Amino acid sequence: MKKILFPIILILLIGMSAFATPLEEQQIQQRINDIGYNILNSNQINNRVVFIYSEDEKQSILDLDKALASGQVIVYQPVYKASETEDELAAGIARGITLAERSQKGFWGGTLSALQMRAAPKKYEIVADKIAVDYMVRAGYNPVGLIIYINKTTPQKRHDLISNKNLASKRLAIVYEYIYTKYPYFLANNPYLNNKYYQNFLLTSENNRKLLEEKVKTGSNKTLHYE
Amino acid sequence: MNRLFTYIVIFLLSITPAFALEDVFADTYINKESVTEPYVHNVYDYSSFKKVPIRLNICNRINDNSVFEGQQIEFKLSDTVYSSGKLIARRGTIIPAKIETVITSGMNGIPASIIIGEFCVPNTSQGQITNYYEVKGQDRSLWVYPLKWALTILPPTGSLTNFIKGGHAKLKPSKTIEIYYYPERI
Repeated sequence: MKKILFPIILILLIGMSAFATPLEEQQIQQRINDIGYNILNSNQINNRVVFIYSEDEKQSILDLDKALASGQVIVYQPVYKASETEDELAAGIARGITLAERSQKGFWGGTLSALQMRAAPKKYEIVADKIAVDYMVRAGYNPVGLIIYINKTTPQKRHDLISNKNLASKRLAIVYEYIYTKYPYFLANNPYLNNKYYQNFLLTSENNRKLLEEKVKTGSNKTLHYE
Repeated sequence: MNRLFTYIVIFLLSITPAFALEDVFADTYINKESVTEPYVHNVYDYSSFKKVPIRLNICNRINDNSVFEGQQIEFKLSDTVYSSGKLIARRGTIIPAKIETVITSGMNGIPASIIIGEFCVPNTSQGQITNYYEVKGQDRSLWVYPLKWALTILPPTGSLTNFIKGGHAKLKPSKTIEIYYYPERI
């Protein structure tokens, strides 16, 4: 009898550990809310945005982006798991807030803005990254966390010419340039310098950083076409 | 044995940084002494809704092609600002601000936009001033989308509307913009 009971209990325990208990879920939700509302208040964002933790792997293809449709920032489980530090989690949430906020402003309660963001997702992906950096800084988070967040959570496609998403390497380079231009303090005093994920970004962004170096050397203000 | 172990640990610790790549770009082009820590607004109190309008005119004309992110620009106060009878800033005072983000115009009539922030109004703190002001170009998507849908019955004419770009964002010295000062906020 004991021989049968033991494997059954073991299987049950393993099965249970795969799902977060209600208490764990509550703690996760609380952590997300803390960061989310901190960003909203620090940046004087007067639109209503709510934060939801979802155990789903990712957004269903058939679903509309909740940030654009109803001002809900959804943090999916894989993204939450990948965000080890507060800065990384704040990066993901700040991006969502940017889209949710912009989709509530403008003609017809923001309907037109939401439509524009859906029509030009590549363009607004970069806009969300840039504004997320500003929101993070004002809320007291380190924007280098966004570089680590993108580096860990966004796969690299071969090309982005006919895609509705930018290459992850391009986004990383644009965020790096944005931080360099507006908040060099965080690159000069970078606590993530010895972080393995940031080191991986440095390793994989050599060509793009060379392009930026040329731009800085020549004092140019033109937009760089990162690879 | 313990000694040997200590030497090994010290050796390993000393060679660890050698494996790490350095951010040569940041080290070369950022002067550590000159950079300052950005403003953080993590203490706030939004209980009061009292606000005082601040009207500004830009000193030099800008448009989305001529500015870059992080660029310093200047505004001039068009009216003297008082709050509860106390003088905040006189008419004509120069108010520095910063170009936060530039969004270029896009297909389907999506307009360009310039987000301006960090307004440095004397006798106020950054948390008491409107966070940002956005200048938008002409939004042509208002008529481009209906036109696109109307033309779907004649393919591929609807797709041709993709090539209609939105208007450029520009701000002239003659245009007065309005931001707010919240005197009871922190």
